[in-house]
Amino acid sequence: MGKASAPTFQEMIFALQRYWAKQGCAVMQPVDTEVGAGTFHTATTLRSLGPAPWAACYAQPCRRPTDGRYGENPNRLQHYYQFQVLMKPSPVNAQELYLGSLAEIGLDATAHDVRFVEDDWESPTLGAWGLGWEVWIDGMEVTQFTYFQQVGGIECAPVPVEITYGLERLAMYSQDVDSCFDVVWCRDPEGRELTYGDVFHENEREFSTYNFEVADVAALRQHFDDYENQCQACLDRGLPLVAYDCALKCSHAFNLLDARGALSQTERMNYILRVRSVAKAACVAWMEASETKAEVAK
Amino acid sequence: MTTKDFLLEIGSEELPSAPLDAARAELPRLLGSALDDAGLAHGEIRVVSSPRRLAALVSDVASATEAKTQVFRGPKVAQAYDADGNPTKAAMGFSRGKGVDVGALEVVEFKGEKHVAVTLGEPAREATELLGPIAEGVIAALSWPRSMRWGSTTERYCRPVRWIVCLFGDEVVDVRYANVVSGRRTWGHRVLAPGEHEVPDPASYLDVLEGAYVLDHDARAARIREGIAALEDELGLEVDTPASTFAEVVNLCEWPTVLAGRFDERFLEVPQEIICEAMLKHQRCFPAFNADGSLSRTFILVSNGDPAHNEAIVEGNERVVRARLDDAAFFFEEDLKASMEDWLESLAQVTFQEKLGTLRQKVARMERLAGEVARLAGEDDVTIAQAKRAAHLAKADLVSQAVVEFTSQQGVMGGHYARAAGEDEVVAQAVAEHYRPRYAGDELPGGVVGSAVAVADKLDTICGMFAIDEPPTGSKDPFAQRRGAIGVIRLLERMPNASLRALIDVALGLYQEQGLDFDRAEVARAVAEFFSGRLQTMAREEGAEADAVAAIAHTGVVDPAEFLSRVRALEAARAEAGELMDDLAQAFLRATHLADPALGTEVDLAALGEAERALYEATEAAEADVEAALADDRFSDALAALAALRGPIDRFFEDVLVMDHDPAVRRRRLVLLNRFAAPFAGVADFAALAKVS
Repeated sequence: MGKASAPTFQEMIFALQRYWAKQGCAVMQPVDTEVGAGTFHTATTLRSLGPAPWAACYAQPCRRPTDGRYGENPNRLQHYYQFQVLMKPSPVNAQELYLGSLAEIGLDATAHDVRFVEDDWESPTLGAWGLGWEVWIDGMEVTQFTYFQQVGGIECAPVPVEITYGLERLAMYSQDVDSCFDVVWCRDPEGRELTYGDVFHENEREFSTYNFEVADVAALRQHFDDYENQCQACLDRGLPLVAYDCALKCSHAFNLLDARGALSQTERMNYILRVRSVAKAACVAWMEASETKAEVAK
Repeated sequence: MTTKDFLLEIGSEELPSAPLDAARAELPRLLGSALDDAGLAHGEIRVVSSPRRLAALVSDVASATEAKTQVFRGPKVAQAYDADGNPTKAAMGFSRGKGVDVGALEVVEFKGEKHVAVTLGEPAREATELLGPIAEGVIAALSWPRSMRWGSTTERYCRPVRWIVCLFGDEVVDVRYANVVSGRRTWGHRVLAPGEHEVPDPASYLDVLEGAYVLDHDARAARIREGIAALEDELGLEVDTPASTFAEVVNLCEWPTVLAGRFDERFLEVPQEIICEAMLKHQRCFPAFNADGSLSRTFILVSNGDPAHNEAIVEGNERVVRARLDDAAFFFEEDLKASMEDWLESLAQVTFQEKLGTLRQKVARMERLAGEVARLAGEDDVTIAQAKRAAHLAKADLVSQAVVEFTSQQGVMGGHYARAAGEDEVVAQAVAEHYRPRYAGDELPGGVVGSAVAVADKLDTICGMFAIDEPPTGSKDPFAQRRGAIGVIRLLERMPNASLRALIDVALGLYQEQGLDFDRAEVARAVAEFFSGRLQTMAREEGAEADAVAAIAHTGVVDPAEFLSRVRALEAARAEAGELMDDLAQAFLRATHLADPALGTEVDLAALGEAERALYEATEAAEADVEAALADDRFSDALAALAALRGPIDRFFEDVLVMDHDPAVRRRRLVLLNRFAAPFAGVADFAALAKVS
């Protein structure tokens, strides 16, 4: 198994939480709906909007059905973790803060070749984009670093910075293992190890099978339509947070349909546009609601 | 005038490579013209850059602008003062307009007349007050392909600006941008010299940077080249450094160290194209080749880290490359277990273009079209069958795992899979090469089978897009029809017997069979015209004159080999006998202006005068010669045959009055001119060659 001196998977999460809490971030818990990335959490998407300062961090389980490999590929998972930091407005020393965080998880930036390699980010389903980098450590991409410019089709002002750590990759690197299933999740007082594989290997096999072979296409299409309607109903009743949750459900139904290979290119594009339009509508409604609250408070 | 050197350094978070290179060219232009506009004389402008900075060093900037005076002339003295010597309204209006007292008017002489005048001075301005606003303007004016905002400010730049150094001599120039205030402190290498470093003056800037482990662009490029050359010598290898990856690598470091890593031998069994792409595109590492040209296990990486940790950095990169190659090998091995026929059937699920159907349908059309290309090119049945087979397999790899992951290896991987499946080597190679030429100057497929498939692929796309009325426009060409057309032209140049018009008709026919509804003749005409446009552009790029290109285009020839060789022959004829060709063109133009096509070409032989008869006979002879020459593609001979008409037509115009009073005579001569013009038609439009005098 991996280097005994390196932090375990759970220790990495603890360390990142403590570090970013010290920088003023509220430590949040993951959003309890299926999402494809930590960005979809309300603590990022919705809180990126509007003038109010915001700083938060959290570990987010992410589901990308098309990336499943039945647990047979050591580098690809359909369910994995991101550690997400969002700070608005972006601080002037955002990069230095990030580099400082690496030391906390056993990666001394001065002993490695750390690069910020251009990678502009765009989420067609969120109507969002930003500029930034993927961060490489000795050639390995471990983090996405993005200054959001637009979310839900709305200009971000002030501008938030989003830092997204790929936790499995970082753990593989610092623990020096070649398969993510060999990552040590934790050790008990006797030194017995629980691995990532112990926790998730079977999960990968089952969900890959479901995502690619079992998921009922007709039912998924129906789910999509239903949540799209629910989203509209919630918008009509002035419930943007619930509307946004419905948009996330639509997004996941779309991801499953995509994994099933059920969508032609044109259809795929149409579904993306439909997700974008519900997500945008929820963002706009949330913005309006928070502006109204701010007015009342005055 | 005293001068000092000037330095502007814009420090930022890491700038992306391509925009940085563009800005390196733009910055001196912007700064130079801003200094010129302000009237500040200056010397050379040198750009300095690294991922975290874009800077300009300007030598010998004047410490002030020149003071200027200008004399403004007013009304004549006679109109400026009345008889008593008091200023008139004209004088008062003029002085008020210039903002001076009427008593301050001077007198100047202009063309022998005395005028009142005002001399206004623009005082010299200090560089120190001008340079700050100039620097701020330049920072804001850099035109990034995508710019951004950050924090709570609204100014834009390519990435957040973190510091500004602006010095005029040893003085700090005040510059403010997005809450950043200029000073004399630059930032060093993140690891080797972190933090701030003081720059005393512009002259010491490069030394300060070097002391802070930051090299300028060209110095980094040179150091990387040297490092690679040293490793090549040491290891007996040749390193491949494609320009685009090299440019990026130079812009990804401030203090480069060139290192060699190794990967496992088993990866040498994976096609080297995906191994190289994984290294170049995904890892920005360079592959290295043995003396015999085979891929070696060594790869070259350029580190920006502390050389003290080289060993760990190489080890880390080796792990990442191993994971990448593991992926590539996994995809390749999985792909080898699948069958190309199964992939082909799954192309039925992949849309080619919404109205034009699936990729499976495209493959079916390509098979028949490729066979037709080979047949028209005069190939034997074996080759025709190979072209069909290669077209059948050409697109199968699009759904293979390796191509989904390494998209730019489409075709190449298909070739490997076809070979592994026991296909004929000719077929496998054609599959591998059928996307060529992929860009201007790219190689063509090596064999006729690959060329036939390449023509079929590209022509099918072009004809389909025209059939649904989506030809390329200035701003929209998503299916790369222009590039495709140039490819078809270059390929058909090597297959002179394959008629483009015939192939367009076949391609359109296949779409009709598929049930697409369109006007076949009309679309065929539009496609041919599109090709004609491309041919004209290509001929012009070869250096042909516009009128010669137009003269050939007007004949309606679109077969690439014929079109281009005709243009070349015409150009050669004009180079050799320019006067003769010009004269002939003028005569042709005159003849066609006079001639009335409605009268026909039936010449009444009995009535012809001597000059008329001579022209008639020469025309008859020329026509026969032209016909024979064109029949076996002797285009220069066709031109020579027409050139023989110069004497007779000149004499005809000299001796004969065409517009005779007698309508019968006039008619006879006009018919003769119609006859004269006829043999030109198939050769070139000589009217286009007639220079407007």
